[in-house]
Amino acid sequence: MAKILNFKQKMTEAEKFSVVRREAIYTGVALALLIIFWLIAGFGLMSVDVKIFHLPLWAVAGSVGVWIFAICASYILSHKIFKDIDLGGDDDDK
Amino acid sequence: MTNEGNIIALLPLLLFMAVMVGISIFVRHKQAGKNFVGSYFIGNRNLGGFVLAMTTVATYSSVSSFVGGPGMAYKIGCGWIYMAVVQVTAIFLVLGIFGKRVALLARKFNAVTVVDIIRERFNSNFLAAVSAFVIVLFFCGTMTAQFVGGAKLFSTVTGYGYEVGLVLFGLIVVICTSIGGFRAVAITDTCCALIMMVGIVLLLNYVLQYGGGYENIMTTIETNNPEMLEPFSAGNMPLGLYFTQWLLVGICTIALPQSVVRGISYKNTKGLHSAMLIGTVVVGFMNIGINFAGVLAHGVLPGTPEDYGGVDNIIPTTIVTVMPIELVGLAIIGPLAASISTISGLLIVASSAIIKDVYMHYKPNTESSKLKMLSMATTAIIGGVVFFIALTPPSLIWLINMFAFGGLETAFFWTLLLGLFWKGANKAGAMLSMIGGTIIYCATQAAGFKILGLHQITIGITVSLILFLIGCKFGKSSDKETLEKFFPND
Repeated sequence: MAKILNFKQKMTEAEKFSVVRREAIYTGVALALLIIFWLIAGFGLMSVDVKIFHLPLWAVAGSVGVWIFAICASYILSHKIFKDIDLGGDDDDK
Repeated sequence: MTNEGNIIALLPLLLFMAVMVGISIFVRHKQAGKNFVGSYFIGNRNLGGFVLAMTTVATYSSVSSFVGGPGMAYKIGCGWIYMAVVQVTAIFLVLGIFGKRVALLARKFNAVTVVDIIRERFNSNFLAAVSAFVIVLFFCGTMTAQFVGGAKLFSTVTGYGYEVGLVLFGLIVVICTSIGGFRAVAITDTCCALIMMVGIVLLLNYVLQYGGGYENIMTTIETNNPEMLEPFSAGNMPLGLYFTQWLLVGICTIALPQSVVRGISYKNTKGLHSAMLIGTVVVGFMNIGINFAGVLAHGVLPGTPEDYGGVDNIIPTTIVTVMPIELVGLAIIGPLAASISTISGLLIVASSAIIKDVYMHYKPNTESSKLKMLSMATTAIIGGVVFFIALTPPSLIWLINMFAFGGLETAFFWTLLLGLFWKGANKAGAMLSMIGGTIIYCATQAAGFKILGLHQITIGITVSLILFLIGCKFGKSSDKETLEKFFPND
């Protein structure tokens, strides 16, 4: 914990903006991957004659599958890639 | 089928509304003595992860997500759910791309609105005034759709008149927002989002019971409406609609001012990270859950949408048909909560656009007590104007909602995205993009002009980009001082 706080406080303004820019790019990459998954899971599987719970595979993969993919992407972004930074101002708890 | 003015159906709703007013009064009391502008418009940048997630989701999920959308799912089938699920991107995109950048800049400039940041980035009071005007204009459209949707739902389900519904929940939302400001909006939004989820679970449960179980309903659909299990739904769900919905309710939603302003309001990055995950879980659950309920409604309502008065009446009729009278009031709290949370979220941003972005800019030394009165009065007046427009209800809620979404996205998408991430963006580009793009978007909507049958957002967003780049090519670059503030890393 102390290590994280130390890291937050040590960052210069330029470094913070650099981190934020990189995180925005990663978010864009996550979006691109999600779009590809959405296309494959839905349109890509539409001709597969498999049913899950009376629903065609494309409908399950293209809805619940995409949702799970988005949750995983959010988790990886927010817990593995994004960094805690001190936002500045009096109201940020350090 | 209605309940003909049954008071039992009304009680849970009245109780919920009383709680909302109570929360607003409590928040107002707790904020007494704090900086008024900061507390009223952004809740003193004090939101935690859970509340940030819920308020962003609740503001984003409107009554059209709960009424018009699932009504279309009833008509189209699984293809509509496949299209609607693109909304799972909405929360992690806006918070991931703009969340921290906007928070850093807001603290740097002491900004409390998105327009404050646009003013600083492009050094233009005129552009700030145009931004405020566009926000108020399109928000009025969205809010009207919410009022109409909420009141129609209320009327169908409780049996009381449309006007009674409009007065009841219209007054509540205006009072709550006027009194409590952003903090109250965020907390009541959180309650609304939780109630929405409970409402979805209840509705799914009773639809399944009424329709004789999941297997029975799905067998009926497979036999009677096999096209509902195809992505293109026998031509009812064209490929172009998938494409435009990705823009309208997916990618471009990152620039909606009501979502971006959430980036100014949270306490720390830990909260932001939690909000990205919680928000994605919740928005997916809501979208898939309520639209699947729309598909399963075939087990309850065997006809076509026209037999029940159109797609907007499918969910209200289903609720009245399947749920016991004691729970009907509870079930409609969900969709009404969606409506209330969207209106309150928009009202506070619209009010801030007028008071903070326009009035205070020209009269910065206004006394706090006068500011307080003006802010509350503006919130109440905007709410009142929309309320009166809604007295003569337009039809097809989701279309009005989509029109307003498209207008805001056309105006703000490139201005915010390129403005905050590209040093080459300048005032001329932003101005041309926002004004030209919005005018073209509205003109093509008015003329019904489309290219390849695609929604006019495709024209608006393309024209807006072209104009932005032309402005940047020929206009004067931003000054060095501004660029150093916005891009200290370069």
